[in-house]
Amino acid sequence: MNTSNMKKTILLLFFSITIVGYSQETETENESIVAQFLNNLTGSFESNAQWYTNDKELGDFSDPNFPIEDKSLRVNSYLRLDYNFLKNFSVGVQLESYEPLPLLNYYTEYKGTNVATYYANYRNEKFDVTAGHFYEQFGSGLLLRAFEERQLGLNNALRGGRIKYAPTEFLNFTALYGQPRIGFETSDSEIFGFDTNIDLSNALKIENISTFNLGLSYVGKNEEFIPQDANFDTIDFPEMVHSYAARVDLDFGKFYTSAEYSIKGKDAVYSPASAGIPEIIEGKYFDGNALLLNLGYTKKGLGILGTLRRMENMAFFSEREYSVPGNNNFNMLNTNYVPALTKQQDYSLANIYIYQAQPSLQIQNFAGQAGEIGGQFDLFYKFNKETSLGGKYGTKVSANFSYWALLDATFDQDNSTYDAEFLKFGSRLNRDFNMEIRKKISKNWSGIFTYINTIIDKGVTLGGPLGVQGDIKSNIVIAEATHKIGKGKSIRVEAQHLWTKQDNKNWAGATIEYNATNAIAFYVNDAYNYGNDVEDDQIHYYNVGGSYTKGASRVALNYGRQRGGLLCVGGVCRFVPENTGLTVNLTTSF
Amino acid sequence: MKNLILVAVLLMTFTLSAQTDLPTAKLKTLTGKTTDLPTIAKENDLIIVSLWATWCAPCKNELDAISEVYDDWKEETNVKLYAVSVDDSRTVKRVKPLINGKGWEYEILLDTNNDLKRALGAPTVPVTLIIKNGEIVYRHSGYSPGAEDELYEELKKHS
Repeated sequence: MNTSNMKKTILLLFFSITIVGYSQETETENESIVAQFLNNLTGSFESNAQWYTNDKELGDFSDPNFPIEDKSLRVNSYLRLDYNFLKNFSVGVQLESYEPLPLLNYYTEYKGTNVATYYANYRNEKFDVTAGHFYEQFGSGLLLRAFEERQLGLNNALRGGRIKYAPTEFLNFTALYGQPRIGFETSDSEIFGFDTNIDLSNALKIENISTFNLGLSYVGKNEEFIPQDANFDTIDFPEMVHSYAARVDLDFGKFYTSAEYSIKGKDAVYSPASAGIPEIIEGKYFDGNALLLNLGYTKKGLGILGTLRRMENMAFFSEREYSVPGNNNFNMLNTNYVPALTKQQDYSLANIYIYQAQPSLQIQNFAGQAGEIGGQFDLFYKFNKETSLGGKYGTKVSANFSYWALLDATFDQDNSTYDAEFLKFGSRLNRDFNMEIRKKISKNWSGIFTYINTIIDKGVTLGGPLGVQGDIKSNIVIAEATHKIGKGKSIRVEAQHLWTKQDNKNWAGATIEYNATNAIAFYVNDAYNYGNDVEDDQIHYYNVGGSYTKGASRVALNYGRQRGGLLCVGGVCRFVPENTGLTVNLTTSF
Repeated sequence: MKNLILVAVLLMTFTLSAQTDLPTAKLKTLTGKTTDLPTIAKENDLIIVSLWATWCAPCKNELDAISEVYDDWKEETNVKLYAVSVDDSRTVKRVKPLINGKGWEYEILLDTNNDLKRALGAPTVPVTLIIKNGEIVYRHSGYSPGAEDELYEELKKHS
């Protein structure tokens, strides 16, 4: 049976079960069977609908990915069903629907309605066996992470088989084989993985170390190569990329540390688009590596964490073609997960100038780049109650500093070789300082004050070569206050300001949120680019909306203008063009 | 096809009751040990499970608010709160310093690959559950200031 037939059969099967289940409910003798069936069935449904409208300031609605299709009402929906039976077994399916087209700037192959993923699983104390689609992560994901992030349209679930085996409490193994999902299809490339974790503090009964874990991983990626050019010498061509990682986690109570090192096997690189259609550079295959270190100290009321990461040629795609610069605007088919290690921001103006990690080797693009090096430092502190800075309720402070630069390297572009330094910082890409003070002022009043100071390289945020176009420096101040009125009623007011002399200059923003009950909330917010040099671009990005929550269900409604730019979740970003419209989000689980 | 799905979904939304069984997704403790909700529920009659993340402001507001009254709750209802972080590898290392920096006294669990979050069908955090004798008896998504009072009222019904 081919894939599409199989999908259709599963789809039909599920719907007939659902419908049969429903029609049977009237017959009393079957009620217990139905009840039992429904009791074993769990699932969730999420639907995000947007009606794009024309806007007299932003212009008429248009979709850069589907320029000739004028479909302004779009719905992305996800239905997940899991059925558990015979104690140890479960099966599940996820249906997805992008009708009539996906929301703006989702991967364009998310089209129509179909089965997206399915699985069957057996699990007991020691074994966990899956056939079908599964999600997985080895260590921190430097080599492998298969995951789903609906807001970004990412789902690289592997389809194949996975066995997890835990013979004892302190030892586990994972072996997997799969092909990554892309859109509603499956890539032809293959992923082989093996991972093991040993809990040494438990195995050796070490008393004074609370954590001592070791981990080892192997990830192989195979993709057939058929050269376009008959003269291409395929000897030594790495169709199979063998990659390895080792990690250690140590926790002495107050001090804790972890280290992870990975080596990505030799893989092909492409010539730049500026020299015509990008092609694989013959005979030049490069391996990559990454080092990630964490060191922390923590005790009651205090937490300190330092992180260092060095990545050289660590962009790792399941298909080579997706590594071509400019060829993968939707971030598809990543095998590994190397997010930007900076503070993840929540406020709207704090999300304008966002750093994105730069793991890739681009040997001939502009002056060349080999990767990224840098670190961040976090501090969390609580001033206790009844101290001069703590006041009646205590004061919580957190701060983060991060610095990221290109890995210092020299390039011989004529011969397509390069030489990277081990621990030397090249051009600065991002420098970020931010702090947050949270304070409960009285029984019914609390506040948060945030200050952010960032320097970001123009190439990172606006595109083009890195480290040579200059910086955008910004300062952001945000203050918010929440007043509890009682009986579930509360009001939250937030004011933001961003100062910068570069790019689009200053912004001001504000939010008012009113919770009428614990279930019903309304808000209105605005981000105003009043400092823009172009008077026509001094635009208000306003939004009004509300939400209703009950149990596991939530309905939210929003009307407004979205600022174009990067939408980032977990350090991975998706570019969204500016747009105006009405949004309805519905989520429920059962 | 689209209509069929719509109908199926509507039917299920109305015919199926809320999920009460505990998902068996594996979770990690801060010391790297593996556990899951059924195991935890076996050891404690009454627990609150809160899915949160270091980058989620309402989650932190909720856990801050509960931490003010947590001692009273424990005394009066014998409840234990498990705060399950859904932080992925970008931010998961921040969990330990953050909980200490805030002085939270909750049991902390990690759902780094979001297996529990998926099994609960929770697209966003915070999600708060009350689990009594191994069954989910209350569930709420999102946090608005003062929602901890409602949670406490609900908790008292089951203590």
